[in-house]
Formats: sequence, structure tokens, C-alpha cells
Amino acid sequence: MKKNSNNFFLRLWRHPKGRTGIIIAMLLVFCAVFSAYIAPYDPYDVTQRAEKGLAPSLSHPLGTTITTGQDIFSMLIYGTRVSLIVGLVTGICTAFLGALMGLLAGYVGGIVDTLIMRTVDIMLVIPTLPLTIVLTNIFGKSYFMIIFIFTIFGWTGLARVIRSQVLVLKNSNYVKAAELAGASRWHIMFRHILPGVTHLLIMSTALTSAGIMVAEAGLSFLGLGDPTAISWGKMLADAQSGGALLFGHWWWIVAPGIGIFLSVFSFMRIGLALEEMFNPRMKQGAGVRKLFKSLNNTYIQSVFDEMNEDDTPVASSGKEAVQA
Amino acid sequence: MGKGYVFKRILYTLFIFFIVITLNFFIPRIGVEDPAERYYPAQGNMTDVEYEIIKQLTREQYGFDVSTFQQYLRYLKQLLHGDLGTSMQAGSPKVIDLIAERVPWTLVLSVSTMLIGVVFGILIGAYAAWKRGGWLDNAVLSASTITTALPGFFLALLFSLYMGFEWEWFPAYTDPNLVSSFDWSLDAILNVMQNAALPIIATAIGSIVGYAQNTRNSVISVSDEDFIITARAKGLSNETVLYKHVLRNAMLPIVTSLGMSVSGLIGGSVVIEQIFNWNGMGTLFLNANNTNDYPLMMGIMIFLSGFALLANLVTDLCYSLLDPRVKLGGARR
Repeated sequence: MKKNSNNFFLRLWRHPKGRTGIIIAMLLVFCAVFSAYIAPYDPYDVTQRAEKGLAPSLSHPLGTTITTGQDIFSMLIYGTRVSLIVGLVTGICTAFLGALMGLLAGYVGGIVDTLIMRTVDIMLVIPTLPLTIVLTNIFGKSYFMIIFIFTIFGWTGLARVIRSQVLVLKNSNYVKAAELAGASRWHIMFRHILPGVTHLLIMSTALTSAGIMVAEAGLSFLGLGDPTAISWGKMLADAQSGGALLFGHWWWIVAPGIGIFLSVFSFMRIGLALEEMFNPRMKQGAGVRKLFKSLNNTYIQSVFDEMNEDDTPVASSGKEAVQA
Repeated sequence: MGKGYVFKRILYTLFIFFIVITLNFFIPRIGVEDPAERYYPAQGNMTDVEYEIIKQLTREQYGFDVSTFQQYLRYLKQLLHGDLGTSMQAGSPKVIDLIAERVPWTLVLSVSTMLIGVVFGILIGAYAAWKRGGWLDNAVLSASTITTALPGFFLALLFSLYMGFEWEWFPAYTDPNLVSSFDWSLDAILNVMQNAALPIIATAIGSIVGYAQNTRNSVISVSDEDFIITARAKGLSNETVLYKHVLRNAMLPIVTSLGMSVSGLIGGSVVIEQIFNWNGMGTLFLNANNTNDYPLMMGIMIFLSGFALLANLVTDLCYSLLDPRVKLGGARR
């Protein structure tokens, strides 16, 4: 098993898209874990009255905030934590819930299937952002709430994909054999069918995380996150209300923007690389690609690359969360 | 398309709407015994007696003095009469009136954004696909990476910073008297256009890129199909193939994504409206949230979900008109 997982990371690393993704993601994880050592100042220190609104310089690489004199570079480093934690935890929770629902709907079928698929239809109609605002009003503002809401709304797309895959696996001979041998439903679902869809789950975790990071920035921007934490979305909100626009302090806006871009970009790359690795249809594409490559037409290759990017059924689930 | 299919779709939509309404009814009642506590949360400087009086008044005003089931029936009856409830704002305006006042202003932004996106997006996307590997094609692909990895409001902030404050091309904040002083005169319309320019530009970019990429992929995948090769083999001209065969068939996925964006036309611009201080549905909802105006919030939720359901229904029916294959299956997919 261990050898297998090593192999998996090696394959991802060998993939050009996967490699850029992994490198950037690792860098971000490093920033998040060691923020206290990397950040030159305390980002929570709002007492530096003499240092307000400084332009980028050697001592403050990205300047300071106009309102409170916080060091923007240190805030940027600390903001990695919220983005990565919310993105990854939601991605993983969504994968679990989506897998469970998809397995139940696909394997058990009948009334369970109908119930789950009707729930999916309802989830798709309810306006997510207004509901999130109402729920944070009811339960209080915290990142736990945001993760919870995103998970509740994010599983639908994945469940559909898993369900259709399970419907295929259900009729395969090895599942039939297990049924005849008297294995229980739960045993078959988790021991025999789940391994058949694991690749979808890993892929969806990466792509959902990317989508959730964008959505989280939007919610934090609206002030729905934990008001005491430092996040990139909240930094943008502070920049807007703190006069960055008025005084033309573009660095205060661009800095968190680059943070969001890098984190989303890296997880998107990893997700797309995984998709190309796992999706059997893509392998056929690779065959054609080789053929074209031998004709020395590098462009066709890039078309195939990009076409693969667009057939991601689960990629949109996170992005839908905040339509703005 | 068969009558039975249309009827079934409509019935199903109504059923989903009923469930959404029921969920909506229970949301303000989550976690509290008495919804009055939700409507008026206790303030620190209130004595228990005072708070009890406030709660009693709220109960009477909003009809919480009967059992939950009776409240639910009353709520359904009220909705059947087209009444979304009464806001807690001063003067107790009807929620439906407040929504009706704001919807056109949100539509000004969202419809123009969508039109710009569809027109330019389809043109750019079709051209990019036709000249695969050209500069425009590459530009569309890199732009789509950037717009998916960046939240839309980040671009809006940058545009506000440069076009609004630095270069002063357009007003960065909407004129607060825009809505109240509007009287269909030429000046007023010009004023609206000027104020709406920045939010529209900021959102249109993402919309154009989205539709362009969609069109491009759709056109490319259609171009590889057998019937296009047949059309070419017949010796048809490039233009005939593009307009008569490729574009027509490439439109199907675009109609679907158009339908999806229609359902976001009213509720989808909360953040943009907040940035530019635009007086639309988004700011109405955020203000309702800040003042704990639950009747208004839940009214807006019902309105938005109803609109989304209607948009889905219409898209589905349009889709089955465009794609005859849907008829046979009886349902999409």
C-alpha cells in the first residue's frame, strides 16, 4: 500500500501541471505552518501609530495599512492559514459527504436514491450566498460555520458523478460475486465499490478546495468570516474601507489578490493533473496526442490539454457557492 | 415536445418550490424556542421585563402567538396571495414592494453584463476556435485561467481604484440619489449609465471570458464531429460550414450556461453591488441582514429561489425545443 501511494505522488510529480501545482502548494503550506517565523512583524499589532500607510520599502516589503499601521506582508503570510484550512477541510468534508451520498444513491437505489437526488435538485435552486448570510446571522460568524455551509452545499455535484460511476460498478462481476458470497451492503459499498471511485474523490478534493478558496475570499470580504482572524478576503475588505482606493495604495489590494490567485491556481493545477492521470478517456486522448506529436504539431497537444480542462464535472461546485 | 413532459416538469418545479418554502419557514426558527428572539435579539442594556414586553409585542405583530403548525399554514396562505410578508423597517413596507423597487436596478447591471458577455464572448470564442492557436485563442485561454483563479470582486476593486479614483473616468461610488431622483429624463438616463459603467465593466470581463471559453470549446468539439467532416467533404465553403453547421450545433451548451446565468441575474451580484454601493437586491439583502430584518431576508430568499426555479424550467423547456433528442428520453441527460 505504501509503495502504491509513493507511486501515486511520483506520478503526480512527473506530470508538468501537477508539479507546478505541488511546488506552489508546498510553498503555501510552508508559509501557513511557519508564518510566525517568516512574517517580519506581528500582523495583529494595531498600535503602530507612527507607521500608518507606508509605501512598500525594505523594512515593510508591502507597506503598511492606512488605518492601523499593520504590516501588509505579515498579514499576507498569516492569511495563508485561513485560505488553506478552509479550502482543504471543506474539500475533504465534501469528498466524504459526496462519496457517502453518491454510494447510497447509486448502490442502494430505490427510495434512498430518489430522496438523495431530489435533495440535490433542491440544493441547486436555493440561493447559496443569501442563505449563507442568513445562517451566519443565526449561528454566528466563524470559519467553522463557513466550512459547514460549504460542505452542505458542495457535495451535490460530486454525488451525481459518484452515483453514475457506482451504477456502472454495481453491475460488474466482482460486485455480483461479493453479493452472492453473502457480503453485507455496507461491506460491498465501502470495501468493493468505494476503491473504484477513490480517484474521483481525490480529484474532487483538489478542485473543490480551489473553488472554495475563491468563495471563502468572497465571504470574508462581506465580513462573514471570523472577525478576529486575518484572511485575504478580509484584507481586501479592510483595504476598501480603509481608503486604499482613495489614496491609490494598489499594493494593499494586489497583495491579497496574488495570494488568492496562487492558492487557487496551485490546487486547480493539481486537480487537473489528477484528472488527466485518472480519466481513462484522457488516455485515449493521449494516444491521439502522441500521433499528432509525431506529426510535429505541438499546437494540437495544447488543444487537447485545454479540452481536458473543461470537462471537469466537479470543478464548478465550489465556484457556484459565491456567484459574484 | 410532448405535453406530458411539459406538465411533468411544471408539476415537479412546483413541488420543489413547496419544499423550499417549507425550509424557508423553518430557518428563522432554528435554535430558538420563540422566533421573536430571532427577530429582536436581546440587547445588553435591556432588563428582563423590558425584553419580555418587546417579545410579547413582536409575537402579536408577527402572529407568533399561535402554534407553529398554524403559523406555517398561515404562511402558506399568505404566500398563495402573493404576499411575501412585511419588513421590519420603519413604516412597515411590504417586502414585495421593496423587492419590486430594487429588482430593476439590479437588472440594469446584470442584464447588460450578460448581454455584453454573450455577444462579445460568442464572437471572440468562435473566432478563437476558428483560428486555433492564434493570438486570440491563447489570450482567451490564459484569461480564463486568471478569471477562474481570482474572485470577481478583486478585479472590481482594481477597476474602482484606477478608473474610479486614479483616472476619474467614472464615478467609483454610485450617486446615493440615483434611485430617488430617477424620472426617465435624458439626463437621468445618462446619469444611470455613467454610474453603472464601472460595475458593468468590472463584471463584464469575467462574463466575456466565460462565454468565450465556453463557445471556443463547444465549437472545437463540434468541428471534430463526423458530420462536419462530411460537410467539408461535400465541398461546402468555410463560411457555410461555420455558420450553418458548426455554430448552430455549438449553441446547445451555450444555451445551458445562459440558462444558469439567468437564474443568477437577480441574486448574483451581492458583492459587486456592495463594492460600488449600487442600490439593488444585493444591498437590500445585506442591509436586511445588518438590521436583523428576518421577514425581508426570508421574503428575498423565496423570491430568489422562485426566480431560479422558473429560470431552470424555462431553460429546460427551451433546451428540449432546441435538442430533439430530449423528447425521446423524456428528461434531460
